[in-house]
Amino acid sequence: MAEHKLLVTVRALQQAGVEFILVGGLAAVINGAPVNTFDVDVVHARNQDNVARLLPLLEELDAIFRIQPARKLKPNASHLSSPGHQNLITRYGPLDLLGTIGDNLGYEDLLPHSTEVDVGEGLRIRVLNLETLIKIKEELGGEKDLAVLPTLRQTLKESKKHLEK
Amino acid sequence: MLPDAFAYASAILRIAMASPTPASGPETDPGYLPDYSEDGVDLSLIRWMLSLTPLERLEFAEQQANSILKIWELNGRA
Repeated sequence: MAEHKLLVTVRALQQAGVEFILVGGLAAVINGAPVNTFDVDVVHARNQDNVARLLPLLEELDAIFRIQPARKLKPNASHLSSPGHQNLITRYGPLDLLGTIGDNLGYEDLLPHSTEVDVGEGLRIRVLNLETLIKIKEELGGEKDLAVLPTLRQTLKESKKHLEK
Repeated sequence: MLPDAFAYASAILRIAMASPTPASGPETDPGYLPDYSEDGVDLSLIRWMLSLTPLERLEFAEQQANSILKIWELNGRA
């Protein structure tokens, strides 16, 4: 099995000039939550220019839909312009491109609830804040979402204390 | 370079086994911080994560994911 290169995937998105907000497990990790994650989840801007930046990058990453990898189905502009979820596998590991999350929240809706984080080594990425991650998981209410909520809530409390120091 | 997930887990185990009784508590130490929240979340792990830089947190998550995938692969689950 190939190693997952989560950081390389995020860096590739940034270097291609793609407008995106990191959400899901990696956003929780960057916010300080000790959770396991195996994929990169991002909400991307669905405007024509951004989709035009995403498509050649996905080609370069050999991205295909991971539900039926044998069919090697590639995402197209129509997929990326939709509010749906494109669950892909790339040569660096799983990448979920999400048109919307929660209650139909797209890139522009989530921008005010995100912060740009300097990850170092020239990497600056927009990350969904913990408050919004928690709110969305509470609304979704699935077992997987509920299971991680206590950790996210405690991380939010501890990070506030950490910032006060 | 961060220790990998195995090294971190064994360090935690060694500390836990070497300290059967807490060295301090709320009665003796005014600056005492509980290791667990009331709902069982490991606060010491959260504090450790918060002590890392965002890049170190990402690197740790990546190492951890790859360590788990390796174990799955060794056990025929990949």
